[in-house]
Amino acid sequence: MDSRKILIVDDNADIRLGMHLRLKANQYETFFAADAFSGVAEARKHRPDLIILDLGLPAGDGFTVMERLKQIPFLAVIPIIVVSARDGLGNQKRAYEAGAKAFLQKPVNDAELLAVIRQALGEPAGTKKPTLYDQGSV
Amino acid sequence: MKEKPLQILLVEDNAGDVRLLREMFSKERRDAFQLTHLLRMSEAETHLAKGGVDIVLLDLGLPDGHGLDTVRRAHAAAPGVPVIVLTGLDDEALAAEAMNAGAQDYLIKGQIENRALPRALRHAVERHRMQTETDLIRTHQMQFKDEFLSHVSHELRSPLTAVRQFVTILLDGLAGELNPEQRQYLEIVLRNVKQLHSMINDLFEVSGVQAGKLKIELQCASVSDAIAYTVNTLTGAAAAKGIILPADIEPALPSVCADPARVRQTLIILVDNAIKFTPPKGVVRIQTRIFEEDPAFLLVEVSDSGCGIDPDMTERIFERLFQASDPAAADHNGLGLGLYICKDLVTRQGGKIWAKSTPGQGAVFSVTFPIFSLPKLLAPAFSEERQTERPITVVVTELGSQTGWLSNEVRADQCRGIRDLLRGCLYSDLDVLLPKMDSAGPVELLFIVAITDGIGGEAICNRIRKQLDGSEHLRQAGLTHSTFYRPLEAIKRNSTESKEDFLEKVAIDIQELMSKEISARQVRNG
Repeated sequence: MDSRKILIVDDNADIRLGMHLRLKANQYETFFAADAFSGVAEARKHRPDLIILDLGLPAGDGFTVMERLKQIPFLAVIPIIVVSARDGLGNQKRAYEAGAKAFLQKPVNDAELLAVIRQALGEPAGTKKPTLYDQGSV
Repeated sequence: MKEKPLQILLVEDNAGDVRLLREMFSKERRDAFQLTHLLRMSEAETHLAKGGVDIVLLDLGLPDGHGLDTVRRAHAAAPGVPVIVLTGLDDEALAAEAMNAGAQDYLIKGQIENRALPRALRHAVERHRMQTETDLIRTHQMQFKDEFLSHVSHELRSPLTAVRQFVTILLDGLAGELNPEQRQYLEIVLRNVKQLHSMINDLFEVSGVQAGKLKIELQCASVSDAIAYTVNTLTGAAAAKGIILPADIEPALPSVCADPARVRQTLIILVDNAIKFTPPKGVVRIQTRIFEEDPAFLLVEVSDSGCGIDPDMTERIFERLFQASDPAAADHNGLGLGLYICKDLVTRQGGKIWAKSTPGQGAVFSVTFPIFSLPKLLAPAFSEERQTERPITVVVTELGSQTGWLSNEVRADQCRGIRDLLRGCLYSDLDVLLPKMDSAGPVELLFIVAITDGIGGEAICNRIRKQLDGSEHLRQAGLTHSTFYRPLEAIKRNSTESKEDFLEKVAIDIQELMSKEISARQVRNG
């Protein structure tokens, strides 16, 4: 089976790299964008199976990205996981209304992120390489 | 600077006393004081509620109010206004009590000197103003400190998370195989990062402790689960020091009425401490049993074979920022907040925490949690003054989520707010909102036990529906709700039966009803 493609949209380079390493080790292929504009462009170009989206982004924000994607039929169906340091139920509710599959509050540990990705992609649990060290609560 | 006249409210029903006091003020400058005189406490309350009064001169024997009660009523009507009590010569003891009840000062009738009265009033007002100001400054300072702590710990967490993430990436071999030495060093980094993380979490927590708002949601919780979790989490740390960590968990342990996350947190702090202060190859043991001194509590003991605690220190260790001075443990210093947090959490869950130790022979930390008992929770609803055969109604509120993606943590947070809302919908504070006992899949069920008939039950339902419909909180979280009531067959208490037996009977019926509701939903949700 081809590996599933995941687009990471986050303006923090460290976070992009950290996620990339984890996802690669779990047989996902990754693509990146560091702002809202290129988030949409990269999605158009690579047609990922899933998008991990930060809310605080340059050139718009996570909600702008979701709005634009919704207007493009073949991109509107991609599951989105919002990962944000932004607080509060308001953002969570807004993210769900905009069509997000899940909302994770930063800091997220890798075990949790992988579990949510598997769920969103409909993959059975335990099919991927487990993380040995990053399972503690953060 | 021209001062505003001092607005004095005199509440006194004795015409002679009033005349005397008026005379004293008549000798003062007219613009210095303004005296309003009322005869009754009820009039005084209305007048105070309107505001504008600087000080109250209060007689303790009014037609419609007597003794300390009048002081309390004056305070309730105008919380920020100082009260000076007027008493007779033989009533000085009462006056002293009035001071304890919040009066600023007292004056004995017949002993008030002409010139002294206005001065006494001025001083009382000034003293009161300074006191209020100091309190306000203190509150602001505490608030600022809490906000600052909360902000700092939030900001420190993000970069630390990145450090932790990349260390674990290296340790998991995602950047290539590590040689044993590299692995060992990275494990040292990780251990220290985790320690730093937990210190920051402590800081974050303690800013909550100070404000008395560390969240606690009591429910039916298993101590065995908390112990298993604790052992699981700390086995690694214990093994690293060659310490064995046996836990004797009795399978038939009763549940406790506590917040499971807080029970876990408490045990982790205690066991983690025990491991730190126990030399290599020692033993840290967790034991539980029903508390001998009060069988309504479950006792958890964490004992270690460490250096022990100076008997004089067994109480001080629970103070904030207390640090062990033991050099053997010097390299394990935390912030000295752990036991302080423990004590706050345990006390607020209705339990106790204490330590006993013989220096050199280890220490035993004991914690108690109240055992979960439905009859005990129901007791207020059947208190003596309501000892009737009136019908019992159970109101059920069901919360569902549109998305089904809510984590347990988020769900717990939301239910907490909604529980407060429901509490406000009760007609009597003797009716009981039961703590969470079980979850029915993607829905949450909240139960209220009320002593009322069907009409009353429907009225409570309507209030709840109206409140929840208007709840911004619920709307933002995307939760759905429905509320209905189930009448319970009236249970008669026969004359020979003790109250305990009666409550036991009611509890069994309510338990049965709740199980039925829960399982109906579990079936529906597959």
